[in-house]
Amino acid sequence: MTVLTVENLSKNYRSVKALQAVSFSVPEKTVFGILGPNGSGKTTLLGIVMDVLQASGGSFSWMGEEGNAATRKRIGTLLETPNFYHYLSAADNLRIAAKIKGRGEEDIDKVLHIVNLYQRKNSKFNTYSLGMKQRLAIASALLGDPDILVFDEPTNGLDPAGIAEIRELIKELNRKGKTIIMASHILDEVEKVCTHVAIIQKGVLKTVGSVKDVMSGSSVGEAAGTTVLIELGADDLTALKDVLQQMPGVEEIITIEHHLQVSCNETVTAAQVNKFCFEKGILLNRLNEKRKSLETRFLEITGKQSDR
Amino acid sequence: MLNLFKIEWLKIKTYRTFWILFLAFLIFFPVAFYFSASKYMESLASSGRMEEQILKSMIESPFVFPKVWLSASWMGGLFFVLLGMLYILLITNEVQYRTHRQNIIDGWSRMDFLKAKFSILIFFVLVSTALIFLSGLLVGLVFSPANADVFNGIYFVGYFALMATLYLMLAYLIAILVKRTGLAIIIYFAVVCILDNVLWLIFTLKNSQIGYYLLLEPVDSLVPNPFKPKIMERRTVDDYTLVIAAVVYIGIYCTAIVSYFRKTDLRT
Repeated sequence: MTVLTVENLSKNYRSVKALQAVSFSVPEKTVFGILGPNGSGKTTLLGIVMDVLQASGGSFSWMGEEGNAATRKRIGTLLETPNFYHYLSAADNLRIAAKIKGRGEEDIDKVLHIVNLYQRKNSKFNTYSLGMKQRLAIASALLGDPDILVFDEPTNGLDPAGIAEIRELIKELNRKGKTIIMASHILDEVEKVCTHVAIIQKGVLKTVGSVKDVMSGSSVGEAAGTTVLIELGADDLTALKDVLQQMPGVEEIITIEHHLQVSCNETVTAAQVNKFCFEKGILLNRLNEKRKSLETRFLEITGKQSDR
Repeated sequence: MLNLFKIEWLKIKTYRTFWILFLAFLIFFPVAFYFSASKYMESLASSGRMEEQILKSMIESPFVFPKVWLSASWMGGLFFVLLGMLYILLITNEVQYRTHRQNIIDGWSRMDFLKAKFSILIFFVLVSTALIFLSGLLVGLVFSPANADVFNGIYFVGYFALMATLYLMLAYLIAILVKRTGLAIIIYFAVVCILDNVLWLIFTLKNSQIGYYLLLEPVDSLVPNPFKPKIMERRTVDDYTLVIAAVVYIGIYCTAIVSYFRKTDLRT
């Protein structure tokens, strides 16, 4: 089942094209990351599907239905910044959110415990630190135990311990069967938390798929055939280099201090390299297939210019 | 609508500025009205005129039945700008805190948001109209002769309710369009205190009745200044026409608010 489907979604702000015909689907029970640099259109996209912004073109649906107030009541959302009444306490703010969602007040204490704000539940929102405000917004999204959660930069303003807690919370929610849609510009966060990712740049969807597929380069919108990196070491690096040059599939060999970094095509595995070297009389003292980080893939996909 | 009002009440029940402005209206108006009446009646009694003349003046006094209903409505209108200002504040606060976005995200439709704010408008109109009625009744009973016809002229309280509604609808429209609290309040006061009167004056000096149809003038004219001598009255348009004009304005403002808010991007 598809939780969210967006089709050809576009948004123009006068001459600025904030979103250009973006289409993708969010499968059920995934942690779906929307990754992109600042100003790439992530929040615009989430704003449209939550009905606070009007699309210039295209459409979206939640669980196969046209987005409306009733569907939004079943989604817990933190969009952009924590939005609360400054003069009200945390508990009163959550009371308002619960009433709008048509839920009872019994959840309020529970969600405040989850985000460690229970002790401060009667403090006014304007006395909260940035991190506490962010945690309150997450608490508000958890009201009513919704099956779908939308988090826009959920770890914004949190300290390292808070960041780890929230990431663990997101994974825990996913383990309980929740679908989480999460926008972030932090690559590490998406890599650690998400099962699926869509990469957006300047309002254009560059790629979408499972994190594994995006890393390996076989996701939607990309040409296949990405290289594999293997680090190798032996007592005689020159002899090793000579042997590797004979091996089919090896594309490039770079010497890095006391080891070699070999780029191969995707058909080559570390085991094959080991076997090949052994048969040629070379004993390896180092063999490490380097997994590409999402950061590497991200830069490959979006380019390296700072004006991404 | 009642459920929406209950949520709005949660938002404002502990908001200090709300209580300051709301109580200022609830307290200052009746107190000021009673003291004005008291001083006016005292000055009549001590004017040194013949008893017959005093009696005649007292019967025509703005603070005895039936004219007290007009006076209460007119003076209530002067104090009502406090609630107009408060109403703007309650709407622009939502934009400033971005809670108008959050309310929609949490599951209100855009119409729910508008209706919730409209429920506050109704609340203000009902409370202020009740206050005008009670103040008029109290002052009338205290200062009128025993045989006065209490409810003659009570329709002015109805005119007040219409005036309050139109004033708040204008505040609503300005707040939704302008979004910034300070600027919205300045524009509101500029329209209420200056533009409205200047337009009326320009047309009235040209011996035109058009001035009575512009902006807030239909309701202002339904509740004229009770201290203004009748000889200065230039209005020939009847009350019935002005009521229709006011209702048309309310309809126009309402349509403008709904059509704008349903399609706009909710930004700060």
